[in-house]
Amino acid sequence: MKRTIMATIMIAVAVAGGFAQEKVTLNVMNYQQADQSGYAEDVAIWEKFQKDNPAITLNIEILFNDPYHQKLQAYAAAGTLPDVFYVWPGARSAVIHEKKLAKDLNQLLGASYLKDFSAAATNPANQLGRYMAMLPQSYTYTSVMYVNTKLLADNGFKPPKTYADLKKMVPKLKAKGIAVAMLPNKDAWPMQSCLFSTVVGRMAGDAFIDSILAGKAKFTDKPFVASLQVIADLYKDGIFSREDVQVGYGEAAGMFASGKAAIYIDGDWRVGAYITDKASGKALIAPAAQDKDFALMPFVSIPGEKNPGVLSAVAGTGWAVSGSLATGSAKEKAAVKLIQYLYSPEVQAIRFGTGAFVPTRKGVKAAVEPLVAKVPLFYAENAKTSYVVDGVLDPAVYNVINDGLIAIGLGTKTPAVVAAETQKAFESWTASRK
Amino acid sequence: MQTRNRIRVEEGRAYWAMVLPAFLIYLLVMAFPIVLSIVLSVSNYDGGKMFGGDAWGFAGLRSYARVFTDPHFWNALKNNAYIVMISVFGQLPLGFVFAYIIYRKLVKWPGFWQGVLYVPNIISVIVVGLLWQTIFSPNGPIAEVMNSMARAGFQSKLELLFTAHGGFTITDDLVQNILNLAGPAASEWFTNPLPELKELILSYEGAPHAELLGDLCNLFVPKWSPEFLTKPNLAMLPILFVILWMYTGMYLILFLANMQKIDVQIIEAARIDGASEWQVMRFIILPSLSGTIVNSAILAISGSLSSFSLIFAMTGGGPSRVTEILSIYMFNNAFLGRPNLPLANAISLIMVAVSFLLIGLTKAVEKRYGGKED
Repeated sequence: MKRTIMATIMIAVAVAGGFAQEKVTLNVMNYQQADQSGYAEDVAIWEKFQKDNPAITLNIEILFNDPYHQKLQAYAAAGTLPDVFYVWPGARSAVIHEKKLAKDLNQLLGASYLKDFSAAATNPANQLGRYMAMLPQSYTYTSVMYVNTKLLADNGFKPPKTYADLKKMVPKLKAKGIAVAMLPNKDAWPMQSCLFSTVVGRMAGDAFIDSILAGKAKFTDKPFVASLQVIADLYKDGIFSREDVQVGYGEAAGMFASGKAAIYIDGDWRVGAYITDKASGKALIAPAAQDKDFALMPFVSIPGEKNPGVLSAVAGTGWAVSGSLATGSAKEKAAVKLIQYLYSPEVQAIRFGTGAFVPTRKGVKAAVEPLVAKVPLFYAENAKTSYVVDGVLDPAVYNVINDGLIAIGLGTKTPAVVAAETQKAFESWTASRK
Repeated sequence: MQTRNRIRVEEGRAYWAMVLPAFLIYLLVMAFPIVLSIVLSVSNYDGGKMFGGDAWGFAGLRSYARVFTDPHFWNALKNNAYIVMISVFGQLPLGFVFAYIIYRKLVKWPGFWQGVLYVPNIISVIVVGLLWQTIFSPNGPIAEVMNSMARAGFQSKLELLFTAHGGFTITDDLVQNILNLAGPAASEWFTNPLPELKELILSYEGAPHAELLGDLCNLFVPKWSPEFLTKPNLAMLPILFVILWMYTGMYLILFLANMQKIDVQIIEAARIDGASEWQVMRFIILPSLSGTIVNSAILAISGSLSSFSLIFAMTGGGPSRVTEILSIYMFNNAFLGRPNLPLANAISLIMVAVSFLLIGLTKAVEKRYGGKED
């Protein structure tokens, strides 16, 4: 009797095992800020995948800003990269690209899948390693002037078009306790990414950066020093407050929305901070006000600029699959399934709706708030783009620029000194590559 | 004989059975990282998978040379030296004095003061860092107070100016005097300061005078910000203050615990013989605690050189790297941008060397001047 029961149990287990799907656990590193609008939607996106795919268990680690990059690099060094992770197309994720630690999505996803994405997103030349280590979800303008047109009008000003327009606003707005423009730079990267790259594009141009990288020009040459001087002038002329150097990136959006500054400079991704948070039903800027009181504009024309209207832009962030996953394995298949879900029209429409970005996937439509709707129009009106400094220079070089821009903001270093330090860092980096 | 041999073999086996696991764990978690750190510091490893990735080899002392020629290293070392000094010459003497006062009951409610002084120790370092960061922020309470004071001062000067010019009658002379009062920096905001400011002031015609005065204060009173945080020679001051505030209580407890071990009768005998409080402290307590003081100094030195989280939370080494210390300098090289682990490990080994040097120095001082502690 006992033998019969045992045999029955063994057969049942064998049959159940045979029919059951192979269980896979995917380690994922997600880049997410919990106190920003869009958080609830992001959580829902992951929960839906988990619910629809019971055979795949997601083990998600969530970090934001520098801690994300630091941990990803530690994982890379230890050889324990997560199976699916979030990366930048340029130098910010340099190790992933250069050491080819991510799978080539061109091969993994296939041409038939990728044809639904814009050419800029699927062009490997837009990524540091010159292969498709990740699929950019967006093409990002890193430099946008968010203008409170009502605040300006109340004080007798029109939206500025030139540097002189900005300077003219200083006495009156300062008297009212309003900063003309705000760019928080405690975190070091915002000034470089969100304004300085555009200024370099205007004053020097991409060809100049290419010449530097080819060793035919120097950071101490006039165009680069002049670009740094523009930043120094913005502080000296009172357009930026020197206190902004000690304001954290996360603090500034709220300060702008509450009318502490007439203009706020940030990347296009920041629209997401102002729209309605679905979880709380609150918005930093109410949709009606987004529509009539706020505008997205290119940075004003700068005296001496060679390339008028140019704005810094770069292929945006996206998802990558660890190169350590065995080809054809169940894990790799699960990772592809997850990637395809994350880039699906449904998920991309949710992301577009939260203002996270304008998707590179073609034909994605969503009901968006007015400020988000202004982003594609902004792209259309400002087609001329330039490099983002941290997208083309090595961290060993752009970190020196970042620190130098802070020092310029504080008035403790001159543009010439920062240019010399940058050149020295560049030469040191070049020597270390030989 | 055979029995003795068997016992020896069994004892050997038992010895290894008990020691080996701990020894292996030691090798894994202590010796291996140290050796790996030394190896990495003289290697040309440049990111990616450390084992099983691209091959990496010997690069000599290149990373050390780079560290010693980097001005940021010397700045970080200087900042660490400040922390060591505030720890050894600030926390320890203060902790000792507070412990003595409490031990000798020279204040009322000694238990209360002991608790108050120790409380900062039990708060999370990150919380303390963020707390003081907020306090020193350009929008924090200190800034609020300083801005109100500066505004009040400037407004009273403005009122005097208006009174001296016969009230709110706007003349070129009055406007020029306002510009003079504001200082040269303010003039840079105008293309033509005198006519533009005059036009601005005239636009307030009919508005309450208080509004004009308030707006002129907005315009001309520079907002207070902890600018000293940006000056290489002053930037560490708030951090040093917080370090002193936070850790003095720990040494208080250490000294107090050891003072309580001293025989009270010796102190009482000394007092009966006419010794003053100072003499009791100088000739009885201090020599009795010399060993504790040295151990505390070693703790303070090693803690100072390895400190990281408080400054990382307060300033992150910024602005513009002026408050960077060795551990943050190492961390940034290891994780900020492209990882440079050879350089980061060279920095960590230099930190260890500096630590040994300072501890050796402390031991030498104790040997030369210290008393005996039984």
